[in-house]
Amino acid sequence: MYKIFLCFRYLTRKGIVIFPILAVWLCVSMLIVVYSIMTGFVDRVRDAGKELMGDVVIQSTLAAGFPHYAGLQKALAKLPCVAASAPVISTYGIMNLPEYQTSAEVEVLGIKPALQAKVSSFGKSLFWQYRAPLDAAHDLRGAPFPLTGRKLVSYARGKLNAALIDFRQHEKRIRKLKPIKGSGWIAGIEHHWHVIAREDYRQAEYHLNRVFRDLRFVQKLPPSAVIPSDAALKKALLPSAPSFIPPPQARERYPNQKAEPKYGCVVGIDIGLYNRDRFGHYHRPPGVRFSPVILTIVPVTLSSTLATPQSHRFQIVDDSRTKVFTVDRHTVYAPFHVVQKMAFMQQQDLLSGGVRPARCSEIEIRVHDDSQQSAVNAARNQIAAAVRRYALKHPGMQSTGLTVMTWLQEQSQFIAAVDKERDLITFLLGLMSLVVIVVIFLIFFMIVRDKTRDIGIIKAIGGSEVGVGSIFVLYGLLISSAGTLMGVVTGTLFVIHDNWIHDDILWRIFGITIWNRRVYIFSRIPDQINPETVATIAILAIVAGLLGAIIPALIAASRDPVHALRYE
Amino acid sequence: MANLLELVDIHKSFRMGTEEVHVLSGATLSIAVGEFVALIGASGSGKSTLLHIAGALEKPDSGTVLFKGRDILSCGCFERYRYRNRDVGFVFQLYHLLPELNVLENTLLPAMVAAPWYKALIRARPGKKLAVEMLTDMGLGGRLKHRPNELSGGERQRAAIARALINRPSLLLADEPTGNLDPRTGQGIIDLLIRRRREQNCGMLLVTHDPNIAQLADRVVRLEDGKITMT
Repeated sequence: MYKIFLCFRYLTRKGIVIFPILAVWLCVSMLIVVYSIMTGFVDRVRDAGKELMGDVVIQSTLAAGFPHYAGLQKALAKLPCVAASAPVISTYGIMNLPEYQTSAEVEVLGIKPALQAKVSSFGKSLFWQYRAPLDAAHDLRGAPFPLTGRKLVSYARGKLNAALIDFRQHEKRIRKLKPIKGSGWIAGIEHHWHVIAREDYRQAEYHLNRVFRDLRFVQKLPPSAVIPSDAALKKALLPSAPSFIPPPQARERYPNQKAEPKYGCVVGIDIGLYNRDRFGHYHRPPGVRFSPVILTIVPVTLSSTLATPQSHRFQIVDDSRTKVFTVDRHTVYAPFHVVQKMAFMQQQDLLSGGVRPARCSEIEIRVHDDSQQSAVNAARNQIAAAVRRYALKHPGMQSTGLTVMTWLQEQSQFIAAVDKERDLITFLLGLMSLVVIVVIFLIFFMIVRDKTRDIGIIKAIGGSEVGVGSIFVLYGLLISSAGTLMGVVTGTLFVIHDNWIHDDILWRIFGITIWNRRVYIFSRIPDQINPETVATIAILAIVAGLLGAIIPALIAASRDPVHALRYE
Repeated sequence: MANLLELVDIHKSFRMGTEEVHVLSGATLSIAVGEFVALIGASGSGKSTLLHIAGALEKPDSGTVLFKGRDILSCGCFERYRYRNRDVGFVFQLYHLLPELNVLENTLLPAMVAAPWYKALIRARPGKKLAVEMLTDMGLGGRLKHRPNELSGGERQRAAIARALINRPSLLLADEPTGNLDPRTGQGIIDLLIRRRREQNCGMLLVTHDPNIAQLADRVVRLEDGKITMT
């Protein structure tokens, strides 16, 4: 009993214990924060990588692609593991925006949008055909359902009016800002307030645009139709499948039907047409949507020579955000059959008679069970066997260098780099945690030295070696547990509220920006806590505290009582 | 009278640099049940060492320590812990109270050592009633919650005596308990020790330099040249 009693007394009446508790606390907090944010980052990168393409991809090593893809798709559809497949043509070209007098090198992906949405997150990456209607449903979820389309429009108008009032207030605030005179720290604070006012104004402007967009969406609903709930509204606003066909309002942009490009294309969000603010919101200038785009690609022949460049005029119908920067920066999506024709990959009649079959660059496949990577790997093996069997029956396919890879194999270099980055940081933090063990050891060593006479007294009144040792082991356990508990609480709270801490405290009060959303592909700092990770860190911290306490405890236990009593 | 403690032919030497110093060379002493024995001798003669050996805090090079006929030195370590906790009470010259504990907690410490660990969970304080009674009797009733650094030397020593007696030991081992006190306070401490010893009928081996204190003992022995001589 005396061990527990003395341990608590030493804990509550010795000020020095605050230092090892602080060391453990800070270390545990730091590990939880860094590991959670890094893991969140890696997970998002992996999710984005996984959603970017199908679970399994069949590719050709030839730029000219491979033939008989439609037959192969039919053969694959018979496999029980395959849920859907979509052909893709991948080529490089130049994107030219005549109205903006700008051009850029791009990767042109020819896709069938409805099919592509079944195998990848292409559909969900679109702004006008997915994100914006979803935002509208979200913004209007507070409407008094059930209500008619007409009433919903009037509710959306109310929201627009409120947003307009808010915007005007911010506008007034901006106008009232006086020029900053002089320099020094007061001028610095003044400048910071100006920055905040301007950012708030931009946010109000963004919000106004958004609720205006919401209104435009609900105006499309039949006025007399009854919408029973917000879920029904979401369903009504979302299109059934993504499409490259320009909507009717696109015609307003062009003087006549002849001038309007027949097909639309989708551009990557980071291609350079949109601005991104410090909160990660993209501001879409009004004229960009439906503006004409000329895509020029250089077809590659079967003998790997370059053919005459082919151009085609499209209009931007949407923008895509996959959250993989290299993709969003350089990719333009266009209708499969148009790109196929531009790339000379369509079915061709040969002069010698006969037909050259149509080709594609890859087939992306979604498997039924993609919850576990092992299931995806098994499906990949089945698909690879089916591809081999199919290729044997179609001699034209054998020389195209077909490979069958899972999404993880395809993205391995990209994901492995982020994985390694996280492991490296965790390793470095782990090394730093060793310092905590040393700090605890030193402080405990000092405490044991300080308590030498007490050890003699405890032994003189019948305390055993094990008893004395266990006082200090228990002491270490309680110190590391207290520090760990504090670390878990503060670390978890920090991670959960990291966006709030970053935006409303660090930036708004101190003007510090660590997570620059203009640069990072993700708008929000990862704020997910993994209980297993927290538990592992907590256990390791307690064990580390015990390790730091164990040697001083052994020293204490082995102290000769007579020498201890004479200790000055 | 039956012997409570017997120290038979105790030898003990220490290494001081390269030299071996024989402190005890065949010291033999016995204390009867309830007997008060004063041990006197020159400084450095080995009185404290003999006291530590009697209390099983230190092992002699050779010799036998019998407590109620039981050889303490050949016992297992748990037996020795139990002997120090239940059968013997130590009073030191420098009080040796734990600075983090108050007077009551210091007094209760040996009782807590004897108690099983789970008593801590139910916040039980074994011997609390006896400790409060004893401390009140010793004039420390108003000082129960005070820490040692808030007490005078005499008060500290009284708290140390209460701690030595809390488990009702059969033998008190006092190592110059008045050595750090003024004569008047020292006399008060000796009177208290004698009174409490008599009340609890325990034997006492008291190391002292003061002949006035020694003469209060039932028997006075001298440690000279490592051997016990009668005076």
